[in-house]
Amino acid sequence: MEPDAADDADLLRAHGAGDPHAFARLYDRYDRPCFQFIRRLLGAAHGDAAEDLHQETWIAISKTAAAFDPGKASFPAWLFTIARHKTWDHFRRQKVAVLSSAQDDAAMMVPDPGQTPLEQVQSRELAQEIISPVEALPLEQRGVFVMFAQAGLSLEEIAQVTGVTVETAKSRLRYARAKLRQSLAGERSAYV
Amino acid sequence: MSDHDATPDPMDKAYAQAEAVLNDDAARAARRARVLAAVAREPAAPAAPSLPPRRSAWGRGGWLAAASVAGLSVFLATQVYSPASNRQRPAPPATAVPAPPTPGIAAPGIAASPAPAARAPSQAAPALTVARRAATPSSPDPARAAPSPAPQIAPAPGPPPAVSAGPSTEVSELVVVTGERVPAPAASLAVRSSPGSPAERSTRLRDAAAAGRTAEVTALLASGAPVDAPDDEGETALMKAIQADQPAAAALLRRRGASLERKNHAGVSARDMAMSLGDAELHHALGLDP
Repeated sequence: MEPDAADDADLLRAHGAGDPHAFARLYDRYDRPCFQFIRRLLGAAHGDAAEDLHQETWIAISKTAAAFDPGKASFPAWLFTIARHKTWDHFRRQKVAVLSSAQDDAAMMVPDPGQTPLEQVQSRELAQEIISPVEALPLEQRGVFVMFAQAGLSLEEIAQVTGVTVETAKSRLRYARAKLRQSLAGERSAYV
Repeated sequence: MSDHDATPDPMDKAYAQAEAVLNDDAARAARRARVLAAVAREPAAPAAPSLPPRRSAWGRGGWLAAASVAGLSVFLATQVYSPASNRQRPAPPATAVPAPPTPGIAAPGIAASPAPAARAPSQAAPALTVARRAATPSSPDPARAAPSPAPQIAPAPGPPPAVSAGPSTEVSELVVVTGERVPAPAASLAVRSSPGSPAERSTRLRDAAAAGRTAEVTALLASGAPVDAPDDEGETALMKAIQADQPAAAALLRRRGASLERKNHAGVSARDMAMSLGDAELHHALGLDP
């Protein structure tokens, strides 16, 4: 994701001033990573809610655009904070137990099998074999991994989104990668 | 922790490729149209937001008026219906008095409408039409509608409740027909009389704030619970209210002096949390409007 905070802020201001195209431009920049973030956090069991939560997120962005301060956070960090909040709200409404960070981390003390070459992911079947273990990660690790790997947020931004220290965000990312390697090694040794 | 963690990893690349393969352009286009249409229907973010007028009960004058009405009601209840007179002249059964046709419309004369379970002839208060109201009747959020430990109120007999509170709904407010809202006074009395260490009261304060139970928050603060007492993660009641999107509780805590600047152990303040959530109503409640 391009960290173009100034332009994002300009677009938000233009949206607030009534420019009908500004918001669409902003949306087009970030809709894909935002939706995928929500979709992966929800996982297969709650995937149907992704469309609604994605829409709610962008409506919230629109309605509170005047509150965005580019000096405090990048637009992607703000966007993902709201998306994460909407997803957590959904889990709360559905009474889904969300593991605490400590539980997440304790459960993921797995040895990292190390890096090995990955073949190109070209088929949908192959892609799904990678997505499934991502969706099986503990929520906090999943969120950090998706924000870093797909949305391109920095660890500092991720720490800001999730309200933890950079070290904690880094730790979660490391555990997520290790767990994914372990999962994929069990399913398809060619990936790892 | 090595710096390697902050650099791209083959696992990251594989995941990004997988997402690209699974991407559905048609679905994305449909989603785009739907989201932008929904955003267009909503009021755009103005440079100077013109939020809807706040309920009068939120203003200082509103609270005073509401408190005066409630106090007058209690006074009349104790003066007009003494226990002795009640023994001689028991209240008529609820079925004998027709319910007001519309909740919130003042009936002529004096009448009270308590919850059925709380009727007590010795505490009759027929000065005003008062109806119980669920704390979050329009919110589907279970966190907001969580069962409340707030005690039941025992007002006077009279017509059936204009708004019926089910057994699983929280009762934390009284709606007086004048349109003012007042916190349930019995909750305050019960919390004051309930035992509990300062730490327990602090925990209950955070829980009440997160659940939006404003009457309980008021009562706990009145009982001496420190407004900014943090939990193990350094989070205060105000932070809990913000995270749970409970603007009324957050506004109440702010009025009672809760700090917006105090930070949790992750270095995040209540102000940071509120700003990051992008909730206009919450911003308004906390006075964070630009």
